[in-house]
Amino acid sequence: MAGDALWYEAAHVVGITNALNVAADGLETLVAPVKVESAPAEVAAVFADIRAFYAGGDAGEIPLPFALAAHDPGYLADLWAACKRAFEDNRLSRRLKAALAFAVSLTTRSGFGTGFHLAEMRRLGVGERGVLEVVGVTQMFSSYTKIADTLQLEPDMGDIAPVDPTPAPGADAR
Amino acid sequence: MPTVRLRDAGEYPEPARRAFELSKQWFNYDFAEPPAMSRVMAWDPEFGGPHGRAMKRAMGPGEFTRGEKEMVAAVVSGVNACAY
Repeated sequence: MAGDALWYEAAHVVGITNALNVAADGLETLVAPVKVESAPAEVAAVFADIRAFYAGGDAGEIPLPFALAAHDPGYLADLWAACKRAFEDNRLSRRLKAALAFAVSLTTRSGFGTGFHLAEMRRLGVGERGVLEVVGVTQMFSSYTKIADTLQLEPDMGDIAPVDPTPAPGADAR
Repeated sequence: MPTVRLRDAGEYPEPARRAFELSKQWFNYDFAEPPAMSRVMAWDPEFGGPHGRAMKRAMGPGEFTRGEKEMVAAVVSGVNACAY
């Protein structure tokens, strides 16, 4: 897991996962989602891409955060583009990204995210052992972090990872 | 600033100092002093021992690699807003 590019990707997954979860968990009973059958053409096109990404086919449901965002088609399009970019296979696999999103959702007690990303992990081939591995890591580091916070420990392990000297994507090396 | 005085490795009994050596191996890094968390967990071996073993069991390779699990641990720490 060396090199900053992997960690930028992971951070994007964490951020967009939280973004989806706050809307889904907070608005589930308060705002009606846009239905597939009543979606205008520009929304329907995005919905089709979402279904394809999550392998839901024509009958697949639209995950709640996107069905909520669809009230503003332009916002939906950009939210989905960012989400798809964050979760697609890149330097990190989709399988690992689903595991990261599951861990984030479990840690933040997101009912939507925990269920959604657990299902995604399984769909992407993670077995029960793998699921429990992620649960174990999430539990243990939820413990370490609270012990560290309670004692107000200061970071002292930053030197373990080497500094990545590569430039930002598209720029020349210094 | 920590709410407790973190003891130097030399202030711990011999079994804890041996555990600090294992900590170096786990992180593959030669710390000048054991990490603060290692010293915290060594305070009560009856808590720190099984907690550390559970962590190592959780972090061992399985369906996910150790590296992948380190990333899971990092994001959990991040969303817990833990600076340590």
